[in-house]
Amino acid sequence: MSPLVLALLVGAGLFGIGLYGALSQTNLVMIMMGIELMLGGALVNLVAFWRYLHPDVYSGQVFVLVVMTAMAVEMAVGFAVGIARFRARGSVEMEEAVDLKG
Amino acid sequence: MIAAPGQTVALVVFGASALGFGVAVFRTKSMVRSALALLGSMSAVGGLFLALETEFLGVLQLMMMATEMTIMAIFMVMFMMDPGGLGQMDMTHQKRAAVTAGVVGGLIAVALSALPSWAAVVVAAPAPSVQLHDLGIELMSRSMLIFETAGLAILVAMIVATTIALAEKQP
Repeated sequence: MSPLVLALLVGAGLFGIGLYGALSQTNLVMIMMGIELMLGGALVNLVAFWRYLHPDVYSGQVFVLVVMTAMAVEMAVGFAVGIARFRARGSVEMEEAVDLKG
Repeated sequence: MIAAPGQTVALVVFGASALGFGVAVFRTKSMVRSALALLGSMSAVGGLFLALETEFLGVLQLMMMATEMTIMAIFMVMFMMDPGGLGQMDMTHQKRAAVTAGVVGGLIAVALSALPSWAAVVVAAPAPSVQLHDLGIELMSRSMLIFETAGLAILVAMIVATTIALAEKQP
């Protein structure tokens, strides 16, 4: 099996596990963990494409840096929303957050 | 063309570790163990980057994730009624739909990975020093706007996060 396909399969697996986690968990922090895993899968794919198809073009690595920025931003805003929610309602359980429904 | 056997072995080991720790994140009742499992998964992804000869991104991933998961574990302890999972509380909902979505999404991604006929893989990657030099040139020339936008996004996120998290003043 090509090492490119091998790395892409790892990315696909991480994406599937993350998608399950983001949809199945009731806690805000656990949902964020699922999203982190999905973005981790995307990172693996991007690095594999750069390494095995176009190692001479560095926009692939720049794309990885942008996804890492998205992960950091997601964490920062997610935890801020968690703190605000915990302060207001004493919980970050999504089952108890039906009042946020529009 | 195929890669060196050592690289393939490293890919398999780090890939399997990333997936194994990823599954462990949602298998344990302890939230702190979940955070540590995610740290293991993201560290394995960092190891995968090193195996793929992207040294800078690999080390960056390891440093970022070690910090990020430590913060996550702290938040777990702060927010959770039972961070150690001693009460064996079920923290899941819509499990069947989530499993279906995860499996279908994963299978689509696997099909998209395995079915296309990709171009022949490039065996040799640029040396780490060349990569660093060329990435720096890329960031400061063609991709400067993207890089600056990412920096601005982090600044905005910091301001937004601080504003949201600040306690409202009592009148």
